[in-house]
Amino acid sequence: MHLKNKFDVGKFTILAEMQPPKGVNVSTMVNSAVRVKNMVDAFLVPEMGNAVMRMSSLGGAMILQSHGMETIMQVNCRDRNRIALQADLLAAYGCGILNIMGVSGEDPGLGDHHQTKAVNDIDLMTLFKAVSALQTGKDLAGNELSGSPSFLVGANVNARATGDALEKELSRMAEKTEAGVDFFIAPPVFDIGAIAPFLEKVDLKKTRIIPTVMLLKSVGMARYLDRHLNVTISQDLIKRLMRAPDKAVESLSIATKIISAVKEAGFSGVMISAMGWEDKLQKLLDMV
Amino acid sequence: MIIADRKSLEEIQDMIKEYKKILLVGCKGCVTVCNVGGAKEVGVLAATLKIARKKDGNPIEIDEKTLERQCDPEYVEQIRDIFDQYDAVVSMACGVGPQFLSEAYPSQKFFPAVNTKFFGGAVQHGIWEERCAGCGTCVIHYYDGLCPIARCSKSLQHGPCGGSAGGKCEIAKDVECIWDTIVKKKMEQGRLEDLRTLRAPKDWQTARDGGPRKSIREELVQ
Repeated sequence: MHLKNKFDVGKFTILAEMQPPKGVNVSTMVNSAVRVKNMVDAFLVPEMGNAVMRMSSLGGAMILQSHGMETIMQVNCRDRNRIALQADLLAAYGCGILNIMGVSGEDPGLGDHHQTKAVNDIDLMTLFKAVSALQTGKDLAGNELSGSPSFLVGANVNARATGDALEKELSRMAEKTEAGVDFFIAPPVFDIGAIAPFLEKVDLKKTRIIPTVMLLKSVGMARYLDRHLNVTISQDLIKRLMRAPDKAVESLSIATKIISAVKEAGFSGVMISAMGWEDKLQKLLDMV
Repeated sequence: MIIADRKSLEEIQDMIKEYKKILLVGCKGCVTVCNVGGAKEVGVLAATLKIARKKDGNPIEIDEKTLERQCDPEYVEQIRDIFDQYDAVVSMACGVGPQFLSEAYPSQKFFPAVNTKFFGGAVQHGIWEERCAGCGTCVIHYYDGLCPIARCSKSLQHGPCGGSAGGKCEIAKDVECIWDTIVKKKMEQGRLEDLRTLRAPKDWQTARDGGPRKSIREELVQ
């Protein structure tokens, strides 16, 4: 059963982020994924997050698919023009990739190739339009395709927004849904209460929202996320991590509880971001 | 200088179709030199718009004003006393003009009457060509004063690409292959080996790719 069917029947889906390597040694990525293959519904393969150059999402996803795993290929507007984006979407579908996630892509200034040009030939909404066009058998220039893809399309949503920003986010979400987006990935959540304003406005039965659960690898990381990245992490949680004799075990225990809370809240699934602790995914999913 | 082309009459008419009284503002800077947005062109456009609207049975009142420069707050102030007497203001300056006006008079609506094209100069009467891409890091000294960033269709630092024929670019027969010209010039001067130097990948941060740019001269800042 593919991810789309699992969504359709209302299964609580487990997604896991699987970063392709910076290089060609794919063994860590493949081994980490294979270990949890039967517990994960699909692996989200990022496309050079934070503008750090590494193996592309298309390459990483194809490698995982070749080992029998379903993937979500991330596509960004930063690195490719409309020709390359459409070409890669066709290539992906031709290679069996059924799920994609469109993102704008962070500015190269944040990454490891500061001097490069960002492409941004088309913006995110136009990318979704391109996907819709391909699915109806035409490219963005209106030319006929020989066979058309049929993707399950994802996008980001900032579930942490409040007030005016929340109104804008909901309007943007509606715009994305209209443009063909089927599911939304929300940023890391450590307390469901932190996204209560968002939950009041969204019907989880009608909109597929998948919050991210991030593994806290250290107290420093937790503090940084809380102070600088607007990810609300309670002092209690930070203290709990601080007092724990084994930080990794405690981190997995924290993540397990959040996953349970996400499931109870009625979300369509959860996206686990292991942040380099992909080797601990199996233990986490056993606990879940 | 900045080169612009006037928008089509239809596009301008469409922008202002709901307005009865507008101010048409020209600029005595670059757009006067390239004959697109100076006092003369303001007069021609105003007259043309008035005739067209009268013919449609929907007359429009248009006042004309040409500022010293629309890219300077000092001169933008010249319409302070009159800007709110109009339904809208149409600027004939480059893209900088209507933005400076918008920022100075936030309650008014501003429309551009020209399309800003490039940094260049007149190669003959009535013909302007691009010479500079404003990339923020000038490299023309490597290429004998010719800029491949602005003038090569692919902005190649190491050209030519192989697509040129007879000194013309592959994109169109009337486009000069600047790399053909650079190579010829180097050969004539016996310095072809200059082009063997492998340049570092260009740093596009100083170009528009690094985000909106700003230039600060500390000695002038008050």
